[in-house]
Amino acid sequence: MSGAAPRERFPGFDVLAQRRHWDPVTTGVVLSRAGMAPDIRFFTPAEQAAATALCGQLLDQHGEATVPVVNLIDARLAEKQTDGWHYHDMPEDSQAWRFTLAALDSDAEDRYGTRFAACAPEQQTPLIQAVQDLGADTWHGLPAEQVWSLWTRYACTAFYSHPSAWNEMGFPGPAYPRGYKNPGVGAREPFEVRDARPAADPARGQR
Amino acid sequence: MSDVRTRNESAWLLPNDGTRTNHALRQDMRCFADGDELDLLVVGCGAGGSVLLQRLARAGWKVAALEAGPFWDPDTDWVSDEAGSHHLYWTQPRVISGSDPVPLGSNNSGRGVGGSMVHYAGYTPRFHPSDFRILTQDGVGADWPIDYDDLRSYYQEIEEELPVAGEKWPWGDPHSYPYRPHPVGGNGELFLRGADKLGITAKVGPVAIVNGRFGNRPHCIYRGFCLQGCKVNAKASPLITHIPDALAHGAEVRPDCMVTRVEVDERTGRATGVHYVRDGVPRFQKARMVAIAGYSIETPRLLLNSASKRFPDGLCNDFDQVGRYLMVQGAPQTAGRFDAEVRMYKSPPPEVSCEDFYETDPAKPYQRGFSIQTVSPLPITWAEHVAAQGHWGAALREYMSDYVHWSCLGALCEFLPQAGNRVTLAEETDRHGLPVANFSYSQCENDTNLMKAAQSVMEDILHAAGADEVITIDRYAHLVGGARMAADERHGVVDAGCRTFAVPNLYITDGSVLPTQGSANPALTIMAVTARAADRLIGAAGCVST
Repeated sequence: MSGAAPRERFPGFDVLAQRRHWDPVTTGVVLSRAGMAPDIRFFTPAEQAAATALCGQLLDQHGEATVPVVNLIDARLAEKQTDGWHYHDMPEDSQAWRFTLAALDSDAEDRYGTRFAACAPEQQTPLIQAVQDLGADTWHGLPAEQVWSLWTRYACTAFYSHPSAWNEMGFPGPAYPRGYKNPGVGAREPFEVRDARPAADPARGQR
Repeated sequence: MSDVRTRNESAWLLPNDGTRTNHALRQDMRCFADGDELDLLVVGCGAGGSVLLQRLARAGWKVAALEAGPFWDPDTDWVSDEAGSHHLYWTQPRVISGSDPVPLGSNNSGRGVGGSMVHYAGYTPRFHPSDFRILTQDGVGADWPIDYDDLRSYYQEIEEELPVAGEKWPWGDPHSYPYRPHPVGGNGELFLRGADKLGITAKVGPVAIVNGRFGNRPHCIYRGFCLQGCKVNAKASPLITHIPDALAHGAEVRPDCMVTRVEVDERTGRATGVHYVRDGVPRFQKARMVAIAGYSIETPRLLLNSASKRFPDGLCNDFDQVGRYLMVQGAPQTAGRFDAEVRMYKSPPPEVSCEDFYETDPAKPYQRGFSIQTVSPLPITWAEHVAAQGHWGAALREYMSDYVHWSCLGALCEFLPQAGNRVTLAEETDRHGLPVANFSYSQCENDTNLMKAAQSVMEDILHAAGADEVITIDRYAHLVGGARMAADERHGVVDAGCRTFAVPNLYITDGSVLPTQGSANPALTIMAVTARAADRLIGAAGCVST
């Protein structure tokens, strides 16, 4: 996993180290997510390749991914575990995924003469950025902002459901039946780890 | 404490051994046959349906509720985890449209016994007296056919039954709560600090979360997963506040039953029961009266899907009122960044509220107003906030790693009822072959102005508390309307007692009957309106069967 900076903030913090304090049902759900990734069932190999490259970009995960985001998205689509609703000018989520991954391949073919997954990361970035930049305009006939929302919604839900993502943000995950005894500004539980870089405000650098 | 136990024994019917479900009560539940003519059949087991069921069962009525989702056991069915809670939401297909389409699912749609209150935050404010007269007073929206005074005693009753914890409430009709306010966490502390600096009044509560002990329901443990279903039994939902008492008084709750159509006799014009599907088998339950409580999307959809020769455009839709005037609240959320650690995930997301901006301010270019509350999103939801700023890749990860430093407030803006904001039937069908709902939403200028004003106040509060940076995400919360209460059938679907104008033995007892929404979370008012309707039904009929 790249993104070295985020991982330095909570040195030694490990959500799974506290799992003996969790209720058994929650423990099962979280450990199965942290365990072996489910097999790909929904995406075709070509779609899997494009999705892996896309999610790698969106979440800054390159090479050996720590969180198997594509497998987790694939599982939701295979099991129809979607949110149910869809925008009137978008197909339902699983079809929207198939269509937009093919559209990314098509953009890559047009610009670089190869599939999206075969492009170098620095070639992929502008193709993705172009979709975000379209905003309310259409991309391959679909509203670009809804495509962007679909991608980031599924990718972030998968990534931030994973204990390794909670480790880099200092979030202790499940909290039943123990709960918390020290809420309040500046207060910590014995098992919470102080942010080692409290002034590393990401917003501050951008003003 | 009041005589609440003599009115509703639910909290005492739950186990006190650390488990959360009274299995014996469910196993011994009375079960009716499809051919038994019930005194009243309820469709949907959420805020409205459950209160109606409990009230009528207590009065000796032969009642059952059909619920599309499961009969939850918090111990085995719910988890202390965001992604693992997806099954709490209504995720059947729906289409959203309009110029400002409203995402559904996790945001505002529940399923299973307890309904959306299983995953609501837990805020239970009352409406203000002004909410019932905004057309007369402010020249916008609609007047209710009832007044605040008609609901006051029902508000008090329900607040005792949930029960609600909070400070003495200075807004609207000033009142107090049966339980003391909870201690606040980092997020609530910063809201109180910022409001105090600006001379804005903010109060702790009102939340339907036990502070202390209530019957066999334990004290809150401040774990922060209120929106994922309360495994503690501390946060109120009808699953634990009304269903146990209903079962103990002979009501049946039939889970996993999707109602497909309300049957109305062509000759008498009266409802005779409902068609439903259980385990894939189409069935028909007979009833002398029917109450629909499927909430603002599914209630209109069921009426529209129950079209007949007599009602060619949908049941109760003679005047094209069904599905219209559906409302959401504009719910922008503004977060502020602090160098100190806030860790807003510790403590319930509902902590502190402000209703200073609730009423129309003649100095402002808009009518009506908004409230402000703490919200405290967990990581997946927080990622939506960060992604909404346009961040992705390394920037997204960097922002997310800063989570413990952020505090987050949410506003509820009173969007106005508009005829064009409505449910219609889409061409698309569900797995039962029934047309799904198409929910169209477009904001009016007043709505947009309220969103901006609320954002600006939240930014001010967070800055005053010491935030060096603020970010905002525009979103929506709650659903009400779609089959509203009115003085006559040309302006609504039901009368002041929740009886449909078109079918004399058909009622609607859920959020869809609300003509306006104020800036208040709707659960308490849905329950109070239903409790009033139940009282009138019982009063009119007496004890109809024994």
